[in-house]
Amino acid sequence: MGYRAENLLSVLKTAAPMLLGFLGVIFLALPLRLFEGVAPTPIIPLVVVFFWSIYAPAYMPSVSVFLIGLLQDLLTGGPLGLWAVVYLVTQFVVMSQRSYFLGREQKVVWLGFTLAAASASLMLWLVMSLMSGVLLPVGGLLAQMAATILIYPLFGVAFGELHRRVLVEA
Amino acid sequence: MEFLGQDRREGLGRRANSRFVLILLILVSVLLLLSSLYSAQASVFKKAREGVIDATAPVLELFSGPVAYFNGVAGNISDYFNVLEQNKALRDENAELRQWMNEALELRKVVAAYEGLQTYHAPPEAQPIDAYVIGEANDAFARSMIVNAGRTQNVEPGYAVVDDKGLIGRIVDTGGSASRVLLLTDIQSRIPVFVEGTGLEGILVGNTRGKPAISITESADDVEIAQGQRVLTSGAGGVMPRGLPVGVIDGQTRDEIVVDLYANYARTRLVRIINYEFPAIGETLSEEEEEAGDEPIAEPAEG
Repeated sequence: MGYRAENLLSVLKTAAPMLLGFLGVIFLALPLRLFEGVAPTPIIPLVVVFFWSIYAPAYMPSVSVFLIGLLQDLLTGGPLGLWAVVYLVTQFVVMSQRSYFLGREQKVVWLGFTLAAASASLMLWLVMSLMSGVLLPVGGLLAQMAATILIYPLFGVAFGELHRRVLVEA
Repeated sequence: MEFLGQDRREGLGRRANSRFVLILLILVSVLLLLSSLYSAQASVFKKAREGVIDATAPVLELFSGPVAYFNGVAGNISDYFNVLEQNKALRDENAELRQWMNEALELRKVVAAYEGLQTYHAPPEAQPIDAYVIGEANDAFARSMIVNAGRTQNVEPGYAVVDDKGLIGRIVDTGGSASRVLLLTDIQSRIPVFVEGTGLEGILVGNTRGKPAISITESADDVEIAQGQRVLTSGAGGVMPRGLPVGVIDGQTRDEIVVDLYANYARTRLVRIINYEFPAIGETLSEEEEEAGDEPIAEPAEG
């Protein structure tokens, strides 16, 4: 492989988590309507940001987090900067607790994700309620976060395999 | 999961995530959020939204085919279980609709006779644009859909969007070949409506719940509102045509009237965008006649 191709490959590998985050945003924008719209769509970008912020922050620089959030804001039509703030603050909190999570059991990390998702929901609800001037109903948000927390173990394992086998391997 | 975290020193030294950049970007996002409070319609933001709609439309369109297919399969499977009841309900509905059809045919003759009169000015006709739903904001607080018709199909912001059941929302952003529809349940949605047969005018305000509420702007004293009365667009403000079906009254609390929408957002797939030219003042000599002709639905309480 030439020098240039190798370089391109390493850039691609570094950008892979960001591209996964973009895919997660697209997934959120699809008219999936799981079970006739009863089951909410999980927020996969939150899992992506959380996972790589703990295990390999070098693959999830803050700029990537910002861009994922911005894309989601532009695509859902909400106020610009909302999801960017939520994801960036999540990354900030997670990275400050990184040394605790590293090497822990998956159950503990799952609990950590539950706390991160809860704080993200609280932030979302507060900002949106402040911006609209009324206390918004929380039912839809809680259901969506519950769905996200439920799928975390699955995606945690999948992302772990991807990271170990594809991104880190030469 | 022993393999993760064991190598915590690998690869971190070279490009460690800088805390400074992180905090800087948080500040930038907060500034964006604050500025979008005051200038939500700023041209830069609008351009960015439209650009993203245009850029993602092909991807969404690519995925929406298979998604619709699987939704259809899942819907079919659940339909098999209640096919008999459905059949009976449909036969009853068909009989009822046949009676309505006869009545409509009679009325068509009467209307044609009136239209033959010389004093009648036909209201401007809406030109519908058909489109498919290719995207949807699956967000707890933002309720919108993306449809595959844009500026090339003459879609403009403000146009009403209906499906086979009734009004679903209005266009807010238009890209080249796709646009965003703000649904009636979104927190930002405000649609002028009236309650049929009462003369009660109001604004339908979205609140992220499934059933939005009317805030009353104008009403006669002591209006009796019954459950099941129809709610239609009033055309006030001059963007939507008057008389598009919105829903029925679901109930009334002390300070709000809750509306059960006709639209079922979990099933909306094919929509029609209504390109409606509101009669401009000064364009015709007899503006009052024009306005009278613009109201196809009679309101007994006002007359």
